[in-house]
Amino acid sequence: MMNAIRWWWGLLLAFSLLAASWAFLPLPFVNEVVIFSIYTMGCSFLLGRVGFISFGQPAYLAAGAYGTAFYLFYFGTDPYVGILIGILSGLAVSGIVGPLFVRLRSDYFALVNLALAVIFYYLMQKVLADITKGDNGLWFLTRMSSTPVLDISTPSHFFVFAFLVALAVWAFYKYLDDSIFGACCLATKINEDKLEFLGYSNYSVRLLAFIIANTTTALAGAMYAVYLGFVSPEITSPHRAPDPVVVTILGGTGTLYGPLVGAFAYTGMKDVISKLIGNWELFIGFLLVFIMLAGEKGIWGTLQPRLEKLFSGRKDRTAAGDGAEARR
Amino acid sequence: MHSILEVRDLSVSYGEARVLFDVALSMQPGEIVACVGRNGAGKTTLLKSIAGFLKPLAGSVVGANASLVGLKPYEVARLGIKYVPQDKKVFSDLTVRENLELGSYTSRDYDWDRVTAYFPKLKPLMERKAGHLSGGERQMLMIGRALLGSPKVLLVDEPAEGLAPSIVAHLKDVFGELSKNTALVLVEQNLPLVCAIASKVYALKEGRIVAELADRESIKPDVCERYL
Repeated sequence: MMNAIRWWWGLLLAFSLLAASWAFLPLPFVNEVVIFSIYTMGCSFLLGRVGFISFGQPAYLAAGAYGTAFYLFYFGTDPYVGILIGILSGLAVSGIVGPLFVRLRSDYFALVNLALAVIFYYLMQKVLADITKGDNGLWFLTRMSSTPVLDISTPSHFFVFAFLVALAVWAFYKYLDDSIFGACCLATKINEDKLEFLGYSNYSVRLLAFIIANTTTALAGAMYAVYLGFVSPEITSPHRAPDPVVVTILGGTGTLYGPLVGAFAYTGMKDVISKLIGNWELFIGFLLVFIMLAGEKGIWGTLQPRLEKLFSGRKDRTAAGDGAEARR
Repeated sequence: MHSILEVRDLSVSYGEARVLFDVALSMQPGEIVACVGRNGAGKTTLLKSIAGFLKPLAGSVVGANASLVGLKPYEVARLGIKYVPQDKKVFSDLTVRENLELGSYTSRDYDWDRVTAYFPKLKPLMERKAGHLSGGERQMLMIGRALLGSPKVLLVDEPAEGLAPSIVAHLKDVFGELSKNTALVLVEQNLPLVCAIASKVYALKEGRIVAELADRESIKPDVCERYL
């Protein structure tokens, strides 16, 4: 019971802060943060739990985004159906490449994924230009129909939807972390041979983790597509490939709150600094190097033990106080 | 009586370097078989080959009524032949409970009371990260985890290495008790321990079996030492 309270306390606090940010911060910013945090959750799971670093996340993001965009541009108008098709596209792509990629060592895995992002970029920009409209992209903002209850074709309702999706994804990853499968993922990262000696197939564990993580990334891509009403090859541009990895490390690799904290910090930095400085990318680069050198565990990884110490210290003091009270 | 594990003419190499030459051993259910030898004799290689971690050049390994050659380590483990490696590296970021859960899930055996009956020290440590355990506690956890699912054969690599004498004595009692239901292959350099519990001893030297001691009279530390 206490565990459940502790569990939900953190979850509710994190998402209450996010909900509160809606009141104080511009809507495009909070929407970007929520979608980016979903984008990063998959990458954080792969890196933190399974030990796979992937520079190809834009490929899976694009699979989701283009799946949604093709449906909304050519076939239908319901954004919910579009998101579902985006998720299925991500599932299909990761199901096809996963069996090949997860056999590789982490360094080759990173590179082969980057290669996939490059392939996707040129497919969408050049090879399939007749369907994808090349650099002009697919525009379907006005084609989307209104949806009952929560009209996600409007930005404010979209935020509520994205918020609920992020909450569900977060709870799902929390469940995975606490499950036998989560333990298997961590075990395969720590020592793959020993996991096999216990009767588990490393390959199966990694493949399932890969598919789950990249389907989550595709979900983020589908949500970007619906939110922006537009998709272009820029979404899978290789120069955007390090973004989710950087945000994962910035937030705190393998931590559950890390993607949320990292997405908030990264989007915030980009937003604020780009308004103040001309060559903001250069400045952000230096800032990220500094932040990661100062605390290589990332923002949440550095804060977490301090917060735990603070709260456990307070709890200890309260307990001591109660004891003293009882003695009196 | 059928052998629970039978190795015939097993040859194994690491690249160009041949490590095992025509090794043969057999054991009955409930037997404790020990392999002794100096460092580099090929003892660990033998266990790893049985466990499916190394592919032999030639020979056969039959365990639990199935040919083990060509099977992956997880397939061998699912047949009830479990390997406890030498290095005592548990899954350090997982708690003792999570380590046991990993052992339980594939075998669908959640009878942890049996594990804690053998190793009572583990009971109060369930929520502790395995990385924070002492060497002896880690060894207990690794053996306890492998016991889940009631394996037919347990391959234990140097269980007494680096442990305090009191813990080694405890392990000796545990192995004796375990052998009532599980056949044990021990690779060990601690000759007093080996001679106290083994019913058969194979001495390995430079990848070859140089002696097989099968009667209790001959299984003595000074006799074993002659072959090392």
